[in-house]
Amino acid sequence: MRKVLIIGLDSAPAEIVFDRRKEFPVLNRLIEGGRFGTMRSSDPPITIPAWMVMSTGKDAGRLGLYGFRHRTGPTYDKMWIATAQSINEPAIWDIIGQAGGQSVLVSVPPSYPARPVAGQRIGCFITPGADKDYTYPKELKAELEEKFGPYMFDVPFRIENRAEILREIYRMTEKRFEVLHYLMRTKPWNLFMFVEIGVDRVQHAFWKFHDKTHHLYEPGNAFETAIIDYYKFVDQKIGALLNEAGDDTVVLAISDHGAKRMKGAFCVNEWLIAQGDLVLGAAPARGANIEKTPIDWARTKAWGWGGYYARIFLNVEGREPKGIIKPADYEREREALAERLRSIRGPAGEPWATQVIKPNEYYDDARGDYPDLMVYFDDLYWRSAGTLGWGTMYLEENDTGPDDAVHAQHGMYILYDPRSKASVRKDIDITDVAPTVLRAIGLPIPADMKGTPLR
Amino acid sequence: MKKEFTAVSLPTSLYREIEDAVRGTADPSVANYIAKVLRESLKKGGSTEEVFSPEDEEKVKDRLKALGYID
Ligand SMILES: [Zn+2]
Repeated sequence: MRKVLIIGLDSAPAEIVFDRRKEFPVLNRLIEGGRFGTMRSSDPPITIPAWMVMSTGKDAGRLGLYGFRHRTGPTYDKMWIATAQSINEPAIWDIIGQAGGQSVLVSVPPSYPARPVAGQRIGCFITPGADKDYTYPKELKAELEEKFGPYMFDVPFRIENRAEILREIYRMTEKRFEVLHYLMRTKPWNLFMFVEIGVDRVQHAFWKFHDKTHHLYEPGNAFETAIIDYYKFVDQKIGALLNEAGDDTVVLAISDHGAKRMKGAFCVNEWLIAQGDLVLGAAPARGANIEKTPIDWARTKAWGWGGYYARIFLNVEGREPKGIIKPADYEREREALAERLRSIRGPAGEPWATQVIKPNEYYDDARGDYPDLMVYFDDLYWRSAGTLGWGTMYLEENDTGPDDAVHAQHGMYILYDPRSKASVRKDIDITDVAPTVLRAIGLPIPADMKGTPLR
Repeated sequence: MKKEFTAVSLPTSLYREIEDAVRGTADPSVANYIAKVLRESLKKGGSTEEVFSPEDEEKVKDRLKALGYID
């Protein structure tokens, strides 16, 4: 088995990694000696499920993972959070393990609880805290903490103090790479994979300071170079790690989706109210959560959830507790709503490139708790706000925290094989990644992986 | 995306029974119903297992909210 190192840069877009490559000497060296391009991410292009779609080679429908949370059956107010337990398909490390190989996996979402693996595993940012068992094997936690102190899974994002967020992101990444070096030196591995979530965090917190086309950009601001400076820092860290990875190791630097400027947040439930699909039982407080707002279910046809994309649920007779849409009318109602969603325009009347997905038709094999519709407002430039009581449908900023960026459908990858150096640009799909890694390692590709290995 | 299908045989009586059961529901397709029931029964472990204590779940939800993943 050959060794493969996967460098996960959560949310890193081609527009930064490729377009500004001269500023990142290590990544640039990989680009100039490797295959690289955009990677079309999963639907939805969200951290969960994207990393697992990549690692299993199965789409989100097959995994039954449509985001971080899911509605529990046809209920109005119950939901479950996706965890490592929610994954029922074998990932590349399971296949490697069966073949007798070892993997080191650091913070690949979702990896809490830290399920057993042939090798070592450290939890990701859905780990509730460092007081939990967040490693496999269990003893690895004490081994690491003795040397490096408590692991940092994420940075607190609620604080409006951006300088503090930035300091914490650097501290987290610094610590992660200390742990990575240690694991790389001391543990046996055929696959070594980690996800640096700091890339995503720095982009969400600083995009408006960085992107001149962002509606809140201010020229000459104090954080103008925060994102690029952090990339330079990560680039250096990757360089040091590569020095220890071995001369014959195949290196894959990859993101789970891209990022771009957020144009605003669209209040999907305010829109549904205006359309007559959603009827409230009482006037909502400003920013009220839909789950905590009384709804007149006898007159409600649909309601929605927020996030980087919208999930729409229909209130169907015989399915929801107080459903009113007759089953025979379901498809007609759903299509009519989809059509109305597609024709939504922006605050200045500008047309949007909104995409509406019917999960049960779109996925090859849709499983689990999928919504009736998934909506990418204006090609994801507008996030979805599920909260109520804003008095407008269009918010300039995120309704739930400091956030200037949204996800983009395309991420990026660089595949560097020291045995066959070439600088070749080729765009791929996220389902191509697992077969590509298995081929690089020298293992057979399971027949039910639909992607094509990159040559 | 192109879907691939395969055929299985069922006793006609069972087929008719399912047909009656799904008639007038949101999705009156017998094939979809059978696929759904089989997926449920194939599901191993998964989301029903308790991973978070109620306090931890709130903590994680608040974090995901602040990060913009959920609202
Ligand atoms: Zn991500």
